[in-house]
Amino acid sequence: MAYVATRGGERAIDQAERLFRAEMGEIDAARVEEIRRAMPYLVDRVMGEASLYDPDIAALALAQTGGELYEAVLLLRAWRTTQPRLQVAEPVAQEDLVTHRRISAAFKDIPGGQVLGPTLDYAHRLLATEVLTGTPYTPAAVEPAETPAPAKQPSVAHWQAANDLVDLPEPDTTAPEDIPDITREPLLFPAKRAHSLQSLARAETGSTLALGYAAMRGYGKAHPTVNELRLAEAEVMVKHPKGTVFSAGRVKVSQAEVVSKSGDKLQLGFAATLGWNEVKCIAAATLDLNSAGAEKGSATEEEFYLYHTEGVESSGFCIHFKLPHYVTFQSSLDAMRDANSKNANSKQEEPAT
Amino acid sequence: MDGATPQWSHDVVLSVLARSASDQIKAFAETLLPLLGPLEVLQSRTGLVMLPMRDTAQGTAFHLGEVLVSEAHVKCGDHQGYGMRRDRDLEAAMAMALVDLALDAGIAVAQCQAFLADQQARQQAEDHETLCRIEATRVDMETF
Repeated sequence: MAYVATRGGERAIDQAERLFRAEMGEIDAARVEEIRRAMPYLVDRVMGEASLYDPDIAALALAQTGGELYEAVLLLRAWRTTQPRLQVAEPVAQEDLVTHRRISAAFKDIPGGQVLGPTLDYAHRLLATEVLTGTPYTPAAVEPAETPAPAKQPSVAHWQAANDLVDLPEPDTTAPEDIPDITREPLLFPAKRAHSLQSLARAETGSTLALGYAAMRGYGKAHPTVNELRLAEAEVMVKHPKGTVFSAGRVKVSQAEVVSKSGDKLQLGFAATLGWNEVKCIAAATLDLNSAGAEKGSATEEEFYLYHTEGVESSGFCIHFKLPHYVTFQSSLDAMRDANSKNANSKQEEPAT
Repeated sequence: MDGATPQWSHDVVLSVLARSASDQIKAFAETLLPLLGPLEVLQSRTGLVMLPMRDTAQGTAFHLGEVLVSEAHVKCGDHQGYGMRRDRDLEAAMAMALVDLALDAGIAVAQCQAFLADQQARQQAEDHETLCRIEATRVDMETF
């Protein structure tokens, strides 16, 4: 093993970082606030992938990295390690979510009904180019209903269980402090379900969509239908030193349940994440639905998709290839030249025919 | 809690305080400080709360991710006050702890409850407005 030492790079490295940051210029609180206010879905995506919920910190990471998402998530994951863990909150239950959007593609008449919430699903995708020529784009105001929607909605799966369509799972009685945690334990296979769902919750959106899409297109065994999709807010239920459990505030969460027919019952796949990111949740739930019995090395095999949707590891491995590999590459070149030389010599030594 | 009434159970008090407007709870806590006497600050820091969720497919509890919070814990004699809020506003968490302490010690209970009532009304009005906006997006499906 050999190394190539180089000198004279320190100034170049310093200037290269300056060149990157120069494009963003000065970052102040107003810029961070504007990113947080104007790009809530980007902030949500970064918080979900970073597995750290704080819109201000996420917006700051976006400001500092110029929107380079892998760098922003890496920055947040690194910053997270500087903070002590104070508590593990009470588990969030679907029925307790303050629900903003709740739809089902499987059943139109679900108990509680369907509310579209904030969505562009039915919007024309038109670019407001007039903004660039000085005419601001002002969206039409929401016309609120006379009466409020129920804050909480019942579970579709419970209704299906009452109609003998699904088997409801036994409640998990694991104490919050004892729930397996991949930030403190290695991810081993076959993975604990808690590890698998936590990995999907913090998975990179693009790669999760790519593998989920592969499963949807036919590279999986089960075709998904969205049983229930929710964008909601969850109360963070923490404990006072005297034991009183209270809400320290709300966080945005997304969850998707996808369904497929399996024998005489419906089979469910599930995923959830911090922030509002429904594409990731539907794709991740599709992977969950397809994982049981998936072929080794297929897109829907748990080990395959959990390793390849971990954004910090995958982007880190990808970008390491641009770092100096001079010795290993030269070694390959030497071997190639040696083989070529031997081939040429053997041809010269061959007798004329 | 000495200042508790049926309307103001400890969990409701803490939940309302945790969600109260940052500038308003800070201003209110300032008015309590002269009444509380010497304080011992046991904790004033930011940190993380891991948030678990229950999977609806197989019932498994798993971790969604961590939430940044600010925490304050104060003591005055035999009484204690605690604050935890979902943000990184240490002053607001400390203000929450001071209100909790005042109620625990039976100090300025009427003022604290008036503040709580005001904040709760604001929060309920905010929720009502949000839910009316959500209700506007309800779809009634028809089968043709």
